[in-house]
Amino acid sequence: MKNVSHYGPALCVKFHNDYVLAGYGPFIHVYDYHSGTLINKCRLFHCNKVHGISVSTEGEVLTYGARSVSVVKLEHVLKKDSLVHSERMNSDWVTFGEFSFDRSQIYLLTCYNKVLICDFDCEVLSSKSLGGERSILYSGIIKVFGPDKVYINAGTVMGGVIVWDLFSETQIHNLLGHEGSIFYVNLSNNGRFLASCSDDRSIRLWDLHTGKELSVGWSHTARIWNLKFFDNDTTLISVSEDSTCRIWNIVESREKIAELFISNVYEVHLTKSIWGVDVKEDDMIAVTSGNDGRLKLIDLLQLERNGDEETSFTLDDISQQCDIVFEQNESVKGFQGFSFGVVVITSSGKILQFSDVTKQWKLLLIDEKFVSYPITNGIQTQNIVVFSNSKSDIRMVKFSEKGSDIIQTEEFHVDELSKMNNCLVTEYSDNSFLLTLQSPNPRDKFLCLEISSQDLKIKAKHSFDKPENFASSCLASFQNYILVGSRFSTVVIYNLLDDNEEPFIIRRLSPGDTTTSIKFVENKNGSAVFSVTNRDGYYVFIEVRKSHSENLHCHLSYKVLHSNKMMKGYLEGAFFNPDGEYITYGFKSSLFYLYNETNCYELASEVCGGAHRLWKLCAVNNGHLLMYVKASRFHLRKIYNSIVPETLEKGIHGREIRDISICPSASDNTNNNFKNGHIFCTASEDTTLKLGYFSNKTGEVKNFWTQRKHVSGLQRCQFINNKLMISSSAREELFLWELNDKYNKRPYITIRQILPTSTNNPDLRIMDFDVKFVHQSNDFILATVYSDSTIKIWHYKENENKFELVMQGRYKTCCLFNIAFIALKDQLLVVVSPTNGYLVVYNVTEFIPFTIDATSSDLVDTRLGTAISNLPAPVSQLQVHQSGIKSLDYVVDSTRTSAAILTGGDDNGLGLSSLVLDNTNTAVLKISDFITAAASSTITSGMLINGGEEAITTSVDQVIRTWKITAGKLSLAERERTTVADTGSLDVITNHGDTDFDKTILIGGVGLSIWKE
Amino acid sequence: MGKSSKDKRDLYYRKAKEQGYRARSAFKLLQLNEQFHFLDDPNLKRVVDLCAAPGSWSQVLSRKLFDEGAGGDSEGRKIVAVDLQPMSPISHVTTLQADITHPKTLARILKLFGNEKADFVCSDGAPDVTGLHDLDEYVQQQLIMSALQLTACILKKGGIFVAKIFRGRDIDMLYSQLGHLFDKIVCAKPRSSRGTSLEAFIVCLGYNPPSNWTPKLDVNTSVDEFFQGCSLNRLCISDKLSHWDEEERNIAEFMACGSLESFDSDATYHDLPSSIASNPSSLDPVQSPTNPPYKKAMELKRSGKLTRSV
Repeated sequence: MKNVSHYGPALCVKFHNDYVLAGYGPFIHVYDYHSGTLINKCRLFHCNKVHGISVSTEGEVLTYGARSVSVVKLEHVLKKDSLVHSERMNSDWVTFGEFSFDRSQIYLLTCYNKVLICDFDCEVLSSKSLGGERSILYSGIIKVFGPDKVYINAGTVMGGVIVWDLFSETQIHNLLGHEGSIFYVNLSNNGRFLASCSDDRSIRLWDLHTGKELSVGWSHTARIWNLKFFDNDTTLISVSEDSTCRIWNIVESREKIAELFISNVYEVHLTKSIWGVDVKEDDMIAVTSGNDGRLKLIDLLQLERNGDEETSFTLDDISQQCDIVFEQNESVKGFQGFSFGVVVITSSGKILQFSDVTKQWKLLLIDEKFVSYPITNGIQTQNIVVFSNSKSDIRMVKFSEKGSDIIQTEEFHVDELSKMNNCLVTEYSDNSFLLTLQSPNPRDKFLCLEISSQDLKIKAKHSFDKPENFASSCLASFQNYILVGSRFSTVVIYNLLDDNEEPFIIRRLSPGDTTTSIKFVENKNGSAVFSVTNRDGYYVFIEVRKSHSENLHCHLSYKVLHSNKMMKGYLEGAFFNPDGEYITYGFKSSLFYLYNETNCYELASEVCGGAHRLWKLCAVNNGHLLMYVKASRFHLRKIYNSIVPETLEKGIHGREIRDISICPSASDNTNNNFKNGHIFCTASEDTTLKLGYFSNKTGEVKNFWTQRKHVSGLQRCQFINNKLMISSSAREELFLWELNDKYNKRPYITIRQILPTSTNNPDLRIMDFDVKFVHQSNDFILATVYSDSTIKIWHYKENENKFELVMQGRYKTCCLFNIAFIALKDQLLVVVSPTNGYLVVYNVTEFIPFTIDATSSDLVDTRLGTAISNLPAPVSQLQVHQSGIKSLDYVVDSTRTSAAILTGGDDNGLGLSSLVLDNTNTAVLKISDFITAAASSTITSGMLINGGEEAITTSVDQVIRTWKITAGKLSLAERERTTVADTGSLDVITNHGDTDFDKTILIGGVGLSIWKE
Repeated sequence: MGKSSKDKRDLYYRKAKEQGYRARSAFKLLQLNEQFHFLDDPNLKRVVDLCAAPGSWSQVLSRKLFDEGAGGDSEGRKIVAVDLQPMSPISHVTTLQADITHPKTLARILKLFGNEKADFVCSDGAPDVTGLHDLDEYVQQQLIMSALQLTACILKKGGIFVAKIFRGRDIDMLYSQLGHLFDKIVCAKPRSSRGTSLEAFIVCLGYNPPSNWTPKLDVNTSVDEFFQGCSLNRLCISDKLSHWDEEERNIAEFMACGSLESFDSDATYHDLPSSIASNPSSLDPVQSPTNPPYKKAMELKRSGKLTRSV
């Protein structure tokens, strides 16, 4: 077995010149943070994890983690695969390591508050400690101020921070104030301040001279793991279990000496825990490393790097600047952003322009027709702004390329509409754009005007019927169609080639609020994909297909390809960035946010007062411009694209992966984009499912989607064929998902059906399920086992898209961990494993509405009735393990008369049992082999491979074992350590046509590792 | 979630309240005893409960040694419970608020035992869990080693030591180390401990330290220094950090404890089983929850003071 890639927690991170060094398991990864390229992965330790890195100015790298320590040269870390020969072991945990002032020695702080002074060969020159009471440390740092001044700052488990002088071995302070264990301590470079954080979730700032507590900072909502002073000790950065990074200003004053004020919050990692942080002070870039394996770069000058990120004006400010007199009560009523600046209309019809170059305002014109309720729109690429009002007047203004001149203006009245309550615009062709106009009068038509981009004249006019309850809210065009979003989660599609054609109406795409955006995404073979966002927080990808019937009449049909909900708040729109990542925006209470939905991190946020404000987001040259009015001020917030890569590693789940499933490739897979690897999904304790893709060759993983439909930690996920996947969790949640991988840019996945529930008990978990398809059909039977000992069998009919209960009953009262359908000859057996270590077999042949073919053991649909039957008594029971069976896999022999069952248990045991159908069709269970200490802790997953000749197991002892099976006996073939902690899931796929290796193995736990065999 | 819903979800919690135990963990010790019967020994006289707060194991010890009489004479029986945290009193139990690593604590216990050694030492202590699996496992093992230091000084030859463990990557190293001090090491999992949790209990039977080794508690010696001379150590204290070497590892025998008829801590129960449904109204927890260190942070969050205003 060979490890080809690994994604998991990064416990520490460090800037050094142009590099970022990060600890991933026993490896250090080095990146160039300007380009984002990974320079090298170098293994430092045999199996311990890298918890800390220090780099000297001479290019020596001190690495420590658990009991391991290593001093190596940076040039070797940059080039070599492995430096494990330099690993040295201390007898105690090394909490911190640092170079001496002259960089000739290293100091190692152990978890028992002892410092070892060593040379670079880790020879101990002397050992220092305080003496007296000793308690274990969760944290501690060594601060080297000078050759004779080295402070040790130890955070104890009893809420105290002990500061002591290394060379005199004397205590300077025991800082008391925190409650609970101290999780990090740091000192300012100027030696004035000490900052600490503890289980109490506060940050405390102390005067290092007097030992006085200066300030307590509350803001984090969970434990804080790391702290660092920067910017000449005026600022503090903290990272936390709450997955945020926060910035604190240290404000000095005469009265209070210094106080902490929270100044920024970055939501940039997945649940939960950011472990590491560092700041590149000359660039003011921070890097954070999380349990999700992400390395996130944060621009600490996001609001001041260019100097024009935040500006705001009152009309008085504008009046003073450009000599315009505004009326009392006059206010900003509309605005549109362009690359040259902003065009604004006031409640008195004054149309103003703000230049992004000169930062000056000027009055363009006054149009009194627009004194009230003007609606402002624009075509950014053509520099055209469109104003409309409730009296059906339209005025359009086209600017020169740099915005300095008005090159065209046009106005007209729309006679067809008695009143007008909405006007939307969209680009259409190279030389024209579209306006849609809507009247509140239900009898009025819905108008669509095609306008020339050159002379702003009307080129064509369409009038369409309006469906009931139609209120247009967003607009997109595609070929000769317009797609109009409406309230009540509705999208209406009109054909511009035929005004009389019945509109195609798509209703209830999500629970139901206003559709906020429609964007064309991609098309293939006559189908087009659109992204539709809704204010209720859902985004949906729909496929619209055009088909021709016999009379050459064109039909539209649609299908939901993908649906998901944002974590919280209002969703106002979405688009794809140039890297193909889905970017969403909207509001969370008073906050506007811009969010990278593909990778799940916030790009920017602005406290703007909330969704009810007058606001608009426009794409500009190098980012986005948010405009809004708050407290009579017109605000311009520029959100520049980051000057550094947003991430160096995108990461994966922030909590344990409970199950992994690789999508089997369809034999007719014609999509070249996914043929060199596999689509797979992971189900996590963090309640989400991720859909990703890995390359067979490199093991590189790309994540596409994070599905949030489950509300509790996942139990299982499993592709049941190349299109359908099932996931299960508590609250009796079991979802049938449908995958679509025919499009080029990304796969899509959406819920096809939800399994009916029986109670409201939030603790009732669906622990496992198994599926057996009906022969030559997409119908299947599904068996589910529950934490209350229930076993159910369902019949899923594809045509009706319905789960029907076929059988139910209970084993006893104990929880059932696993279930499998095993078909032998013409009998269908169900095998379950309760927490008591038994294998229990039921024969359900007589109780399902199918017959089983005696030679193939296939389910044959004989259209039998579907009365719900009770679970029969077990036909066989056998205690294989002492306690819970955590994993169960089986292989049926070629004669279909017996099955080999592999079980892994909480008792560290690995069992191989045989299930045989004797001449009287009685199922007989026997233990073939049982290895009592097959692992040193719980065996969490196991699979039979090569037709049952081999097995692979994973266990919480972080060892992957392969086993040979000969004549029903197990023998250990290979064991490899994995750095994936809480190892809990496994899937294996056989690759065809790969010469070096023929199997890819995915291991999940806290992280994901890909192995080849 | 109301009180009764937690009762339903966790029958051991309910049962603990019914039987007046301070925590559900009482059943873990009871189920360990069902397997090993160490508390049913009529000759059991002196027992020590380390990291005892809130005191449910001490309650079990008290009931087993005194109320049920353990089939023997309660005469001369003594239970000492030690914790850094204060504990409310339990009948027949002497509680000490003290540090288990301190020699003074050892002296106090020995004095209470009239300078006789203990027959049984247990510890249900667990540290703060951070989510860094290697650190959490290490700190738990250090806690066990600290308990073991005191145990080495106080346990009679042939005595029993029981402690909570997390079965992770390095648990086999701990088994191996303890194997040098005891005749038999068993990893026991009571049914009241959830199958989905890494928690288990190490049951060390037959204390049998090397004959040439005299354990001595000293606040200035490390755990490693303490166990010098009983070949338990991974490392010798030297002036050089050693090269990496595969540590001695050994997998202890596994034993599930508690009868299969006892409640399953992984199961969901809809109705209270008749055996504990005798009192239909919800009972108040025997011991009100302790003040967590993050109590103030919780209050601030509840009152909306930790929302993002920046």
